[in-house]
Amino acid sequence: MVRIKHRYLLINILYPDPKSTSGRPATKPGDEVPYTVQFRRPSPDRMDGGVLTRLIRDGVAELFGDYGSGKVAGSLQVKYFSQATSTAIVRVSRDHYRLVWAALTFATRLPNPVGQPCVIQVVRVSGTIRKSEEEAIRRARLSIRQAEAAAKSSNAATAGLAAATPQLLSTEDDDVDMINGIEDPDDPRDIEEDLDDEG
Amino acid sequence: MAPGRPAQSPHDSGGGDNNSKKRKDAPTNPQHDGPNKRPRQHIDQRQKIRIARTLSTQTTSAAFQNGALDVSSFVKSRAYEIQALENGLQRSKKALNERAFQQVPKELRRRTASHNVKRVPKRLRARAGREMAVDNTPTVTARRRKPSGHMRLRLETVKKLRALGAKRKAEKDKPKDASVSELPAKDVQPGTITTAIKPRTPKVKKSLLATPPVPKAKFRKRQIHKSWLPTHLYHAKRARMTAPSAPLWRFAVPLTPTAKSYRPTHRASHDRGAVAWDMSYISTIQLEGRESSVLGMLKAMGAAEEDLSGRKASKWRAGLRVLEAFLYERESPHELIAPVTMVWCVYANGAESVEAEGRKRKVLLRVHPSAFFQLWEEVLRLAKVAKPAVSVEDLRFEIGSLEITGPGATEALLGALWPSETVSASNSASNAATTGMDVDTTLDTPRSESVGDIWQKLAGLTNPALLPQNALLGFNVQDPRLHHPPRTIALPKSDAEQHQLLELSASWPIDAAQKSCDIFDGKARHLASTTLPSQKAVNRRKALSPPGEYPQALPKDPRMPVLLYSASSATPTNSSKSRQQPKSHNGGSWTLLAPWKCLPPLWYSLMYYPLSTGQQPRFAGLDQKRQLAFEAGKPWFPGDFPGTKAGWEWECEDRRRREGEWRKRPRGKRVGYEKVEMGGGKKGEVGVGWACDWERLLDGPAVVEEAALGVVEDDMDVDGVAAEKAGDGAGSAEKAGEDTVKPAEQEKAKEDAVPFQAPPKPSQLTQLSTRQALALLASPEAKLPTHINLTSALVTVRLTLLTRGVPQPCARIYRLPTDNADLRRQWLALLPSNLPHKKQKGPKHALPRLPKDAPAHVVQQRLAQSLLEPPRAGEDKYPACPAEEDLVGFITTGNYDLGEGQGTGIGSLLLSRVRDGGEERNGCILRSAGTGLGRLARWEVV
Repeated sequence: MVRIKHRYLLINILYPDPKSTSGRPATKPGDEVPYTVQFRRPSPDRMDGGVLTRLIRDGVAELFGDYGSGKVAGSLQVKYFSQATSTAIVRVSRDHYRLVWAALTFATRLPNPVGQPCVIQVVRVSGTIRKSEEEAIRRARLSIRQAEAAAKSSNAATAGLAAATPQLLSTEDDDVDMINGIEDPDDPRDIEEDLDDEG
Repeated sequence: MAPGRPAQSPHDSGGGDNNSKKRKDAPTNPQHDGPNKRPRQHIDQRQKIRIARTLSTQTTSAAFQNGALDVSSFVKSRAYEIQALENGLQRSKKALNERAFQQVPKELRRRTASHNVKRVPKRLRARAGREMAVDNTPTVTARRRKPSGHMRLRLETVKKLRALGAKRKAEKDKPKDASVSELPAKDVQPGTITTAIKPRTPKVKKSLLATPPVPKAKFRKRQIHKSWLPTHLYHAKRARMTAPSAPLWRFAVPLTPTAKSYRPTHRASHDRGAVAWDMSYISTIQLEGRESSVLGMLKAMGAAEEDLSGRKASKWRAGLRVLEAFLYERESPHELIAPVTMVWCVYANGAESVEAEGRKRKVLLRVHPSAFFQLWEEVLRLAKVAKPAVSVEDLRFEIGSLEITGPGATEALLGALWPSETVSASNSASNAATTGMDVDTTLDTPRSESVGDIWQKLAGLTNPALLPQNALLGFNVQDPRLHHPPRTIALPKSDAEQHQLLELSASWPIDAAQKSCDIFDGKARHLASTTLPSQKAVNRRKALSPPGEYPQALPKDPRMPVLLYSASSATPTNSSKSRQQPKSHNGGSWTLLAPWKCLPPLWYSLMYYPLSTGQQPRFAGLDQKRQLAFEAGKPWFPGDFPGTKAGWEWECEDRRRREGEWRKRPRGKRVGYEKVEMGGGKKGEVGVGWACDWERLLDGPAVVEEAALGVVEDDMDVDGVAAEKAGDGAGSAEKAGEDTVKPAEQEKAKEDAVPFQAPPKPSQLTQLSTRQALALLASPEAKLPTHINLTSALVTVRLTLLTRGVPQPCARIYRLPTDNADLRRQWLALLPSNLPHKKQKGPKHALPRLPKDAPAHVVQQRLAQSLLEPPRAGEDKYPACPAEEDLVGFITTGNYDLGEGQGTGIGSLLLSRVRDGGEERNGCILRSAGTGLGRLARWEVV
């Protein structure tokens, strides 16, 4: 029997506009929220898996027309969506995951009942849900560590010690990580390596 | 957790029609159990999996109070996510895909367990119970099950018979009642019996065959033609036994455990653990008489002079060592009977003076049951003519035995055997020994120590071969049921303690402390068997003892006499042992002799002993016995001694079995023995393909060959065995193929009616002992007793393959070709010693792999090398198998040897054909029956 192959996309939703988002930074002076925390905001309560599905379906239809939506419709499923962390796992068939990825990348706004500007990052594409879950765990751990470190350093900064650089560095690391986390079979570097092997 | 675990809903469980189907209704999700709940919501495996895979999530409002963004709630929400994902991973991995019964370790899995929750480990019991409830498979205990069909009839008959028996007994007992007063069994004291009625000591019937003990009425019908071992009930549940219609040596013998055990047995016996057998089927004969006359008898039976008398044997004669020797028939062909283990009883009171010379002494002979009758007749005949008289007693069903091997064997025995005698004085002595490491003090202590005390000091011994060879301990032990379940003993940890153990095994104080052992005393054996308290009484005593403690030993407790000896070799290979040492890592084994009735409690204590290295001792069957003997490079009696009567019978039985297996297969799928390419244009297997065809080896191809082939096949409707013997191999195999179904069926029916009788052994076939064989091989002029016909004398050898391949039973052994010089040269060229020395990576028996980018000159070099490389099996240039004139023997046991990491075998050779082999005398060629491919091997006498 032939097994139906899927791809699982691990997604982060970012909310760049601080005014319209649900999580407001605490207003008390001296209680500055670190950048890492502000960067990863929770989703609004009305946002859920269904809304995300609609977003993807509409996006694919807009970009690729009936062809795209037809290809994707059969297999598209939101496996996991966590509002508090704005993390989701989306399942698509292996042949068409790029359509979904494109739709996600081009999305700028959540659909209507929520209607918020957003940026969607695909941070990991994997063949099994297990691997994407593991990646989600790894990322959650990483962001906890960063948030704690940032909180500590910001406290230190208020105490009068300048220590902004490590925080900056760490965020940069994080961003690099996110690029590396994406599996791309056509990564130019891989091709180069292959060429090296043959030569 | 959002999607709650599938819980049993109370509404669903009470459905009236539920009993009709296997699985009960769905344990539904309570969230969805609304008012319009469907009566039958089926939950299947797929749904279960879906539920297990659903991950729980947290809403923003729950995670962030008032929507305020701060570090602590950020961290908490992440932590929740991690938790949820990890849970999900674990749940979907195993939770609902595996049942509780499947999580039990492999060796604990039993099909019988699958209906009883109480049979799974405690940690899984609750889950198993839940699953059983869901599956609607109630736990039934055997006791409360409603007897079905046949069983009900049987039980009714039993009930009727019991009523009749009780009535008869009541009538019988009535008149006696007045005169006899019954005494409770617990008043019976060992040693000093003060009761009014002594337990009747049975009259010893000398020179008569022992009758098996009368089994319980319930089991009597099943033991008409055979007897059960004392631990039969244990084994029958866990092992494959001999078929009820085909007992082995008049016993129901466990053949192999039901669980897979080839590799586990190897590991337990070599690396970690212990393997035990109930060897009660081994027969015991007791001789009683003057030492000189018993020794004379043994000498008449061909035991070697140096084994019996002389300084080396003095310890054996004193009863401090065990001797294993081959015994022969006294009459003219002087046939080898079997290897026999002999144990003397220690001199009474330790008096070894001249006046004790005249006293009677006892010796036990232990022999394999297949050779028992042969030995028994021989012994009886000799005892009649011995002067002064020697009395012979058959102790077959009086003394049982078990054997245990492996690194944990000593530990397990120590846990099960609690010596009866406790000498208070020994405490001070042992203290002195532990504090002062002076050799003198340790040598002094044994004076006051008993054997039991010394035995307990052996804790930490992992290999009985460390002790003096064939050492022996005789002492009395307590009832092991008082210390059941056994606990792991304290093992030595410090270096000083280890040193002490080494010293003990070197000085071996048992030699001074050993007193005459009670197991030689019929009365003591009888007393130990009859005064065993019932399990009920034992339980009562255990209940009275304080929690966590064993009950106190009482002076009235029965004392089980046991005799323990370590056999570091399975067979008497005294002379070859010094030569061949690669197998020395293989530990020795302990053999325990105990009264027949005392064996089950000992066995249970041994089997449930928790080893310090984990797990418990394994039990094993006959197949494992053979396997371990094979791995140790030792021949196994009777299978590997085809020149003896017992070995011949074993071979005939094996032949019959292999033939049956061969015939059972359709013609296209079985080996066509008549078509095997033998090299040199010859076709057809030498002799019968499914047999070690010794007749063919001795007599050569039959002269009727041409005639047999000429005759129309249908006319050859002779009995199968006769045809095999008379006809040439190709002819008989042809005949077997042509055999119509009808005669075969008739034959089978005939065989079922009459138990299989082995054809008589060819009279000239004899087996040589190791010693004789080595002497003959060492010098061409060595003399042999005139009665032995050298041309038909077999010698048991161990074969190691030099190149590749695994020898199979029945494989043919050829010497290197003698009359074909060219072929001989080709074979010699294959010897690893004649090959250019090469040190290489890559495949073991081929040239090293070339790298992909090898330059041209390396490739050319390689090509040249490959031309010089000896031909490999299957290539055209590979030398053909030698002709039948060079056939010298057969493999009786052959397999892949887990210890060696290559194929080895044990077989027998016709000594006269290999005696003058010139250079490379030990080289030989093996060919499995039914193939044409020969493999180089080397043999050595074992």
